[in-house]
Amino acid sequence: MKKGFFLLFIFLFVNQIFSQGKYLEKDGYISFFSHSLVEDIKADNNQALSIIDKETGEIVIQLLMRSFMFKKALMQQHFNESYVESHKFPKAIFKGYILNMKELDSQNTETEIKGVLSMHGKDQEISIRAKVEMSEGQIKLSGNFMVEVAHFDIKIPAIVRNNIAKIIKVTFELQHEPYVN
Amino acid sequence: MISIGLLLMLSLYNKPHLDIDKSTADLIITAQKVLDDYQKDENAANNKYVDNIIQIKGVVSNISFSDGNSIITFKDPNGISSIMCHMSPEQNLNVLKLKKDSQITIKGLCTGYLLDVIMVRCILVNN
Repeated sequence: MKKGFFLLFIFLFVNQIFSQGKYLEKDGYISFFSHSLVEDIKADNNQALSIIDKETGEIVIQLLMRSFMFKKALMQQHFNESYVESHKFPKAIFKGYILNMKELDSQNTETEIKGVLSMHGKDQEISIRAKVEMSEGQIKLSGNFMVEVAHFDIKIPAIVRNNIAKIIKVTFELQHEPYVN
Repeated sequence: MISIGLLLMLSLYNKPHLDIDKSTADLIITAQKVLDDYQKDENAANNKYVDNIIQIKGVVSNISFSDGNSIITFKDPNGISSIMCHMSPEQNLNVLKLKKDSQITIKGLCTGYLLDVIMVRCILVNN
């Protein structure tokens, strides 16, 4: 009987370490939008990976640059081959904290996420205002923020300089579910 | 001359995306081999698979729908990784007919590896 309790205790303990407070999203939506007088360019990524630790508010988001889908094949090719150099830097990673994780509930849904965005071999500190919806065990994060192309050492050829905005709008929608092994 | 050049530029500018259905696969392989390659060396596997049209044979471990698009998962029975095949929207009707644990073949583009191997614009291939 004692042994049984002991085993049960071990089982519960181990189970806790692995699953406590971790929330996962494997097919998150992240898009970017560039507006210029010449043309608007939009690309969608539906394969973003995001992990939230509800205890600490820590969040890590990763995506593959090649998962960005453009309307025009040539734009997608230029984006990957010349601008973000996906063969050298295949991923973009954001690591940060949801600042007021503990205070968030069904009433209080506004938050600020602070962290570092790494892309094209460059790190940039950013702060993002986001909306957090917690319901039925899910954590949904949504919002948008601006990034400056120049901060990431991305070189745009002079000939298309007027086609691509200097500041790009990034929109995200991530629906996290409890992580179970 | 100028008009020909302009036409050429326009057709290049409007160049359509690769038609996965009509293109022949660069690689024909099993799901397990892809997973093993990524487990061994991510960079080497990226060089081998990324941006290529790959035809993968595997056993369906899960089918899910997100925002009207379907995702077929091939799971590694020996590890925690899987291959997530994001299907083209026009494949939805055929995906609905699929059953878990059945063996299928898909063709699509590999974009790399996060927690899982990611495949996009996939279509079902008749065995």
